[in-house]
Amino acid sequence: MPRYGMAIDTTKCIGCHSCRIACQNQNGLDYKETYNWINTRERAYPSFHKEYIPLQCNHCENAPCQSVCPTGATFTSKEGVVLVNPETCVGCGDCVEACPYKMRVVREELGIVDKCGFCIELVRDGGTPPCVTTCPTQVRIFGDLDDPESVISKFIAKTGAQPLQPELGTNPKIFYKRS
Amino acid sequence: MTKPGMSRRKFLIGSAVGGASILASGYLSFDAWASAKNNVQDIRVTPTLCDGCSNWCAINVFTKGGRIWKAEGIPIAGINQGRVCAKGHALLHEVYNKDRVKSPLKRVGPDRFEPISWEQAYKEIGEKVRTIKEKHGPESLFLVQYPEGNSALTNRFINALGSQNAFSHASTCFLPRNIGWWTTTGYAKPDQDIEHTKLGLFIGRNLGAGLQLRQLSDLSKAKDRGAKFVVVDPRFSEMAAFADQWIQIRPGSDLALTLAIANVIIAENLYQKEFVEKYTEGFDEWADKVKGYTPEWAQQRTDVPTKVIRKLAHDLAEAAPRVFAHRGYHGAMGTQYKNSFQLVRTIGCINGLLGNFNQKGGMFFAPKVKLGKLDPQKYPSPTVPEDPMADGSGDPEKYPLTPVGQGLTHAIPELAIQGKLKAGFVYHNNPLRTCPNPARVIEGYGKLDLLVSFDYVLSETASLAHYILPESYYLERDDVVHTNQSYQSKQISIRQAVIEPLYDTKPMVVILIELAQHLGIGEYFNWTLEDYNQASLAPLGVTLERLKKEGVVDLGGKWKPGEPEFKTPSGKLEFVSSTLKDYNMHPIPEWEETLTSPDPNDPHSFRLIHGKQAHLTHTRSINQEYLKEISVLNDMTRVWIHPVRAKALNIKDGESMIISNAVGKGRATAMVTEGIHKDCVFLPSGYGVFSRNLRTAFGFGISYNDFLPTYFDPMLGHCMSNEIIVRIEKAMT
Repeated sequence: MPRYGMAIDTTKCIGCHSCRIACQNQNGLDYKETYNWINTRERAYPSFHKEYIPLQCNHCENAPCQSVCPTGATFTSKEGVVLVNPETCVGCGDCVEACPYKMRVVREELGIVDKCGFCIELVRDGGTPPCVTTCPTQVRIFGDLDDPESVISKFIAKTGAQPLQPELGTNPKIFYKRS
Repeated sequence: MTKPGMSRRKFLIGSAVGGASILASGYLSFDAWASAKNNVQDIRVTPTLCDGCSNWCAINVFTKGGRIWKAEGIPIAGINQGRVCAKGHALLHEVYNKDRVKSPLKRVGPDRFEPISWEQAYKEIGEKVRTIKEKHGPESLFLVQYPEGNSALTNRFINALGSQNAFSHASTCFLPRNIGWWTTTGYAKPDQDIEHTKLGLFIGRNLGAGLQLRQLSDLSKAKDRGAKFVVVDPRFSEMAAFADQWIQIRPGSDLALTLAIANVIIAENLYQKEFVEKYTEGFDEWADKVKGYTPEWAQQRTDVPTKVIRKLAHDLAEAAPRVFAHRGYHGAMGTQYKNSFQLVRTIGCINGLLGNFNQKGGMFFAPKVKLGKLDPQKYPSPTVPEDPMADGSGDPEKYPLTPVGQGLTHAIPELAIQGKLKAGFVYHNNPLRTCPNPARVIEGYGKLDLLVSFDYVLSETASLAHYILPESYYLERDDVVHTNQSYQSKQISIRQAVIEPLYDTKPMVVILIELAQHLGIGEYFNWTLEDYNQASLAPLGVTLERLKKEGVVDLGGKWKPGEPEFKTPSGKLEFVSSTLKDYNMHPIPEWEETLTSPDPNDPHSFRLIHGKQAHLTHTRSINQEYLKEISVLNDMTRVWIHPVRAKALNIKDGESMIISNAVGKGRATAMVTEGIHKDCVFLPSGYGVFSRNLRTAFGFGISYNDFLPTYFDPMLGHCMSNEIIVRIEKAMT
């Protein structure tokens, strides 16, 4: 069984937001709802630089959102993907507060909280998440973290890509190569 | 992102009881739910071409239960290689936009429209055109368009009416770039083999916002291989974020930098001698000219240190011939400055010094597909009038190098005010918002006896039109065969309807054919779209059926590195342009001042520069909610200003500023950043919609055109859109 993760190379991101809308369409989201964002960070020294940082659910191994979920709607799939069961989510919002990365989204019209699910239904059918395939500069790599021969594993090994805020101990499955 | 409200939390307390029992079965029930989601019946896929900008990327559009759902790029397509940008995804929703025109309309008062039948509209337009033609001659008619694949047909339409006046947006976009390359190499748009390059230099070209997906994809592959990219821009553009080096430059001085690069390459004997000897013309004369353009001379004008200039020249020479200075676009090489044309010429010549034409990783000329034509025996072509255009384009005495069929779109208001233009057809274009000095544009277009728009929404221009004959949205219409996917091999593609038209609209080709019957030019439109496409495909050995099934067909003919073939009069790359000599224009690239400069002694005086954002095309995409939300969420209408200048004016990040000059006045939020040169402020384009009929976009942000005077570059006539000087002051709240 694969253990899915993603690598994001911010040195290639131009902040074009193609991923955001590809995701919205794939998941049938309203224009105000999104599973991914792009943050920008400026630094002045040693020379001026601006970095675009794509953000989404980190699919933590120790997911705080899952441990606080009172109905078990948030769970981890066999592939290590953190998912929300819309049938059992009651929209309490505990997970919204528990997520240290603030990557959860309230879907008003459904009365639930949702988030990136690595498009697992598409992936199980042999597909790749559209945020990956649509990216003009190929910022994202999706694949099996347990397979040392996978493109993502090799990328992480080569670049030393790190998750965001590893000190939180949540063990995210999104790894960043930062500029 | 909306935060959950208290009421929902309370709701939880009452309903959490069943939680534990669901927990165990959560996984299985999700699987069942997920597969149910996947098994939605009636998913259909139709290949077509996006219409979000002028790249026309090839996409597969998915419908679910007959409703447009999502798009994926077609992998073999030369221009987008399986990728789709934010616009491409979001503009799928536009077919359901509440602001769409739902039938032909006739304007019955200011911003008041009544539905009219196609037949009646054609009849009334036909009568008016006839009267205007009799009274003022066919030369008083014009067409203005953002060229679509079917521009051969729209041009045929206006030519059949006896007019030469087909305008594109060239004079507010790319004119100097195309003419600069054409006079230097014989090609208006050479390409770069980005994928295999070692080093790429981008002067003002921001591929990170003026997207071309193939080039971006190749940049990514090249970067993986260790290629380096350098961006020269007054502003830290999105492309600068991708690049390895950003050289901040004083706006309008790129020409000085490039002349100094040439100076170093020549003075230090770093150029590709064999190439220069074999394939170029006029080297000695140009070498003599650039002697004075030393890095020291350039530093004074550009604020780029001499050692940076020297290193850049050395880096370029070292990487040659697997190197390029990008062909450019906006920023510096489009219709931005009075010296943009000389800049394009200089960049063309630097590529010549680097000997990179038709070399792996250098510049190349894309293979072209030659489509078939309608049989002239059965389907007569109109005679193309030989006169220059009303604005002097093509006139040896006025703008000899400005092509007929492109002309100066921003001259139309003037010509209308002078009474030289009386009736216009506006297709896929919105001159009221995309031309400088809107008050004057409104006045000019308002003077026309007849204005017909084919828009699918009531843009600013359509809102002023007498008639709107709404074209079906691109997802609802069949169109002509395209060749624009050809990049390194010959490709053809086609746009076709994904769904039936939702409203009483028609494909443009059908409108032209029907309208022609009422304008006395039916004999030139005695065929169907099917006939036209069959004729286009006839020499290529590809059936229309196959093309529609596959969306894109590769015809082979792949580009291979080898000897370069220049199409100039000399057959060589012309450092000294024989064409320019013929017209008594500066034939050798040399320094030229900008038209305007901010006052160095006035803390309020700035140059105003502008540029695209990746999710917007002109002002037509900001009315799309998914795209507007990106701007709202990221506060992207802000105007960039340097901290030193902002401090002098007591303007803090996030505060309001007033921008003004003789043309206009506006209010914007300051984005204080060192990512902008001290001389200028940067205003993102794509905003400032003032049509009340575009309800999502109306009143959101401002446009650089609100501050741009009506200029005509003396040589080509373009609009010089970065020659804007404004006064900035802190807004009193």
